[in-house]
Amino acid sequence: MKNWFLQFKQNPRGIVGLAVLLLWIFAALAGPAFLTHTYTGMDMESQLTGPGVNGHLLGTDALGRDVFSRIIYGSRSILTIALMTSLLSSIAGIIIGFTAGYFGGTVDTVFLRIMDILMAIPPLVLSMVVLGILGNSTIFGLTIIVSLAYTPATARVARGALLTCKGNEYVDAARIRGESHLYIMFIEILPNTIGPVIVEITARFAYSIMMIASLGFLGVGLQPPTPDWGMMVIENKSLILEAPWTVLYPSLAIASLVIAVSLFSDFISKVMIHEN
Amino acid sequence: MKTEPVLELKNLGVVYKTLTDSVVAVKDVSLSVGINEALGIIGESGSGKSTLFYAIMNYLSGNGSRSGEIIFKGEDLMGKSAQEMTAYRGSKIAMVYQNPYSSLNPSLTIGFQLEEVSMFHHGMTRPQARKAAIEVLTDLYLGDAAGIIKRYPHQISGGMQQRICIAMALLCRPDLMILDEPTTALDVTTEAVILDIIAELKNKYNMSLIYISHDIGVVNKVSDRIAVMYRGEVVEFGDQKIIYKTPKHPYTRALINCMPRAGVVKEDSRLNTIPGYVTRRSAAETGCPFVNRCEKRNDTCLDNYGMVEREPGRFSACDRAYATDIPEKELKAAKGHLPEGEDPEHKTVLKIQNLKKHYGHTGRRVRALDGVDLSLDRNNVLGVVGESGCGKSTMGHTVSGLMKPTSGKVIFDGKDISVSWKKRSPEVLREIQLIFQNPGRSLNPSFTIESIIGRPMEKLLGIKSKQERRKLIVDLLKKVDLGAEYLSRRPKQLSGGEMQRVAVARAFSISPHLLVCDEPTSALDASVQASVLNLLVDLQKESGASYIFISHDLNVINYLSDYIMVMYLGRIVEYGLKDEVAGSPGHPYTEALLSAVPDVDPSLKKGSIRLEGSPPNPTKKIRGCPFAGRCHRKIGDICDSTPPPRVDVTGTHFAFCHLPPGTMRTVIADKGI
Repeated sequence: MKNWFLQFKQNPRGIVGLAVLLLWIFAALAGPAFLTHTYTGMDMESQLTGPGVNGHLLGTDALGRDVFSRIIYGSRSILTIALMTSLLSSIAGIIIGFTAGYFGGTVDTVFLRIMDILMAIPPLVLSMVVLGILGNSTIFGLTIIVSLAYTPATARVARGALLTCKGNEYVDAARIRGESHLYIMFIEILPNTIGPVIVEITARFAYSIMMIASLGFLGVGLQPPTPDWGMMVIENKSLILEAPWTVLYPSLAIASLVIAVSLFSDFISKVMIHEN
Repeated sequence: MKTEPVLELKNLGVVYKTLTDSVVAVKDVSLSVGINEALGIIGESGSGKSTLFYAIMNYLSGNGSRSGEIIFKGEDLMGKSAQEMTAYRGSKIAMVYQNPYSSLNPSLTIGFQLEEVSMFHHGMTRPQARKAAIEVLTDLYLGDAAGIIKRYPHQISGGMQQRICIAMALLCRPDLMILDEPTTALDVTTEAVILDIIAELKNKYNMSLIYISHDIGVVNKVSDRIAVMYRGEVVEFGDQKIIYKTPKHPYTRALINCMPRAGVVKEDSRLNTIPGYVTRRSAAETGCPFVNRCEKRNDTCLDNYGMVEREPGRFSACDRAYATDIPEKELKAAKGHLPEGEDPEHKTVLKIQNLKKHYGHTGRRVRALDGVDLSLDRNNVLGVVGESGCGKSTMGHTVSGLMKPTSGKVIFDGKDISVSWKKRSPEVLREIQLIFQNPGRSLNPSFTIESIIGRPMEKLLGIKSKQERRKLIVDLLKKVDLGAEYLSRRPKQLSGGEMQRVAVARAFSISPHLLVCDEPTSALDASVQASVLNLLVDLQKESGASYIFISHDLNVINYLSDYIMVMYLGRIVEYGLKDEVAGSPGHPYTEALLSAVPDVDPSLKKGSIRLEGSPPNPTKKIRGCPFAGRCHRKIGDICDSTPPPRVDVTGTHFAFCHLPPGTMRTVIADKGI
């Protein structure tokens, strides 16, 4: 723990990242309690009013919905999906990558080739196609699909981390006392790969936010009236000159969250390198 | 020394500044090296011996600062700028480092790298430089010099690479050559050749040498005078023979007694150990650096300390090595007990029959083990020795179950166990344990010592209760001289010696009957090695377990084995009782190995057999004797064409050689080996 404080002192950008991230998490958890507007409520009196007018902190959109409320509510879905995605894809990646790397040989080759094929399709395209076919995007569906798209990359990272540990003699020592493969993989080796795995999870978190926002922007994300940052940008694209706030603030929300998570992720990787 | 010294150090000190404090790496070192003199520097890791010479060359990292004087041929190097130092580096003072592979550029030919030296330092043209390079290589006994300079570093053996590095240093025609553990990474036979060459070239080129090593035996072979370093200070300095015979500083004496050496065997004597471990020296510390670990300390050690010329040319910082006011430590061997009620039927614990392990495919088949037969009795220690690549580790791993033999049988206690760990029963797994070379890698860094030692108990002995396990673990820790406070520590918090003790405790946690030790002390310092060897001997005597002890170090093998097996290219070349093999070898390879071992006692002069080259390519099928190509006693064509027969010298001693039995013994007697 002492080490972490020292590291924080040396990395002011890490503090900024963590602070912004915590702010968003707070907004998602407790934000709605402070809001005066609902995210669906249409204020017919004041459509497209600028920020600060009629109690609309960040203005309203063409339907008179409060932009600020929609952003706060929107943070809930995006954070949930991104967090679930980074965890799920990391867990799946660890299982697949560890199995491939541990057994090696044919198992490794088959797994790697399948991963290669999946990686050849850009994750965004893959998700779009699947979501397009399913037609109906829910938080659950989005989570599964984005996780699936990111699994090949995490599997490769996990496999690499395992391979650096596999040659160590403590693995041999475990073998000759007759430990099972599962024990060796997940009890002997996993704790020693935790550094790169945590770095991977945080980096994946940032990627997932981008991905979900992109999917929303492309119209295959969460369906209206659920507020979605990416969707808010595309809905109001045509109004960008008349009512720039309708596009600017959701975009800023996306950017601030992605940058915050990236800064925090950089910090984590620095700490992990330092600890090893 | 009447002539002006080539290099003189006066009160040289090096201090490193870290975030929290400053660390003294070298303190108050005063040494001198005369013309054509060889100075050996001995010290354990962390004694500052390498730092000392980085300081001379001004190679210290940014946070290091120097003090004192460095006088090289009358000039003070201390005041020279980095720019001015380039005139000295290489051309006047050359260095050879430990790892030749990382000293050579892998993408340039050896010729190019050698020529570069003369072209840069002496302004030669390329053809002139090539001629000079070939000349030096011939001086280094590299047979086909013209062929070698066309090759790349990875195409030649480690011993040759190191000779290329020495050639590079020689091409500069330096006045002083500093060698920093140049043979530590090499096989003992290669080491012997290189040490020979170094000593010879020193006179030929009229250079001075500084030879840094942790191994007294190696330093003895090349040096005239020896300086012993401990925690950054030179504690003793003088003629090598006198230092060995009558060490003045208690540290020197303790260190010599730590080394397994000629005439010291487990039956009579334990190895000396030095309690505690080397700690970093802070700037505030004064007095004797060894005081906390010294057995002969008294009240004056902290104030009354400093190098004194005890006899002409003989300096030491302390003369209490044999002080009589403090009684000597008892180093008598503990008595072993033979397991009672021994059943003669089950005397043999392990039998190996025609064991083979091959890697790769047909066509490029590596024969790591090529037909090994042996049997090992209860309560015996079998030492397995040979150069790297002789298959000794492969044999250990096949016995312990890490790999499955290609063919042949491993029979343990009457049961056929020639399968890998996956197919062995828990009973067999419990009986055979393995201790690895590098404890840093064999202990899982994520686990506490308690779970590292406790897991085999839980898994193989079925002791499920944590309290019960803890009690047993504490007992075990006590046996390996560690306290209960280690239970919750993790391997990273331990020193190398402590880690290896934990590894030993883990191996003994399930009271195995057979322990395979794969070079368990080669990564450790002399004093730490001694304590681990003592521990292994004690535990063996106490438990009656059998050991297969694999090592490249004949001194260590000789100390603790009952039987010795010499391997070469996947086969046994000689097997017998310790005294038989070491005393009257029946195979020329054993003879060469024995003559190559560096002796701790400099007065032991042995006939030297220069074993050139390296073992033949293991992918080629050899019809005759595998050693024929390098053998100094080759009889003739028969050696190349017919596999050597087994010659039984005595009932327990045999060798595979075409030489008629008894020839070697008479020749050895003539040579006075």
